[in-house]
Amino acid sequence: MKMEDMPLSGPDNTKLEALVHEIYSDLVEDACLGLCFEVHRAVKQGYFFLDETDQESMKEFEIVDQPGVDIFGQVYNQWKNKECECPNCKRFIAASRFAPHLEKCLGMGRNSSRIANRRLASNNNMSKSESDQEDNDDLNDNDWSYGAEKKAKKRKSDKNTNSPRRSKSLKHKNGDLGSSVNTESYKYNYNTGINYETLGPDELRSLLTTQCGVISEHTKKMCTRSQRCPQHTDEQRRAVRVFLLGPSAPSLPDGDAVVESDSYDIPDGQALMSRLQWEDSPDISPTDSASSKASTNHSDSRRPKKKKRASLGLNSSGGGGGSGCPIGGGSSSSSQSNISLSTKKKRPKLPAPSIPNIYDDLN
Amino acid sequence: MSKDSRMRATINQKLTEMGERERLKELLRAKLTECGWKDQMKAHCKEVIKEKGLEHVTVEDLVVEITPKGRALVPDSVKKELLQRIRAFLAQHAT
Repeated sequence: MKMEDMPLSGPDNTKLEALVHEIYSDLVEDACLGLCFEVHRAVKQGYFFLDETDQESMKEFEIVDQPGVDIFGQVYNQWKNKECECPNCKRFIAASRFAPHLEKCLGMGRNSSRIANRRLASNNNMSKSESDQEDNDDLNDNDWSYGAEKKAKKRKSDKNTNSPRRSKSLKHKNGDLGSSVNTESYKYNYNTGINYETLGPDELRSLLTTQCGVISEHTKKMCTRSQRCPQHTDEQRRAVRVFLLGPSAPSLPDGDAVVESDSYDIPDGQALMSRLQWEDSPDISPTDSASSKASTNHSDSRRPKKKKRASLGLNSSGGGGGSGCPIGGGSSSSSQSNISLSTKKKRPKLPAPSIPNIYDDLN
Repeated sequence: MSKDSRMRATINQKLTEMGERERLKELLRAKLTECGWKDQMKAHCKEVIKEKGLEHVTVEDLVVEITPKGRALVPDSVKKELLQRIRAFLAQHAT
């Protein structure tokens, strides 16, 4: 296309300007036409007036811009109405206390995750032991879901209230509810093992007739599982017996004996273990005596200590794979402190009746 | 006059062929949206539609009502920029 006939300057310049304006108005009209089409379509489709509301509601929902009120015209108060309803226990908790409460109420948070971790770890350790397998599986399955935390929490409270289910399983396992404390000490020992150097020869012998007794390379403690514990071989057990009792030591009991004693050797071992434990350290839980001492000294500090103790018991129960031990620990400590409290109360009262007597004598 | 109209046809053809028309249209649309022209026009459309009645409004009605106003409402800056672009195009391809 040649445009040599279209000069850019001179008298034709006005013509060119006109042309430019013509093109421009074409473009603007185009834009207008596009808009018209757009609007027309919107009208016919019925969405053109969607963003409009009637005047009343416009006024009603006008944004309020005044000092002291929010945009809805409501007066806000910083410290009032800041209570949250706990989804678990349905109580109203102040907002500042809500997170700690939720942690306790749901059994979530740092503390309980520690409990869960410990429980998992101990479960892995004792997967082969005599602990309540069904119960453990239950815990393991549920540990990952939110609802399970709740369940676990309920279970804990069950323990506290000494539920029939709990005691039933204990009875089933040990035949006697009273041995739950022993079980607990046994389980603690189970993790640590026994230091064979502190035992006398008689104790060693009785111990080795009931337990595996293989000395760990790392902890230098003896294995406290039954003689058929899968972690150690018969060879190892024999070697330990020769090492500790001399070459004349009785060899491992034969298979029949072991099978025969299988059902009884665990409780026996527990009883023995607990006895040893008692001999070793006269007070089984130092915290108990400490708390009771503290209670006699400061009656004010008794309450929090007691609480702490109870929670400790709970924690340890998590570690024990749900054996229901805290009943013993918690209640014993509380009863101890109760006793101490009562004695403390009685003591100052004792001289009181005697005073009138003196006066009587005087009279 | 035939020479004039022939020239105009040539230029328009050139604009379309080069794609410049499309570019200019796009530029104009963007500028008009940016400066609020579109919103003004929509508000005006609403008035027109309410006047005519929602059911009876036609594209022709709208065009007749809207276009003069639309032409008038284009900001000077946009108009200047567009004219500049057209002139530059013509100068580039006139020789």
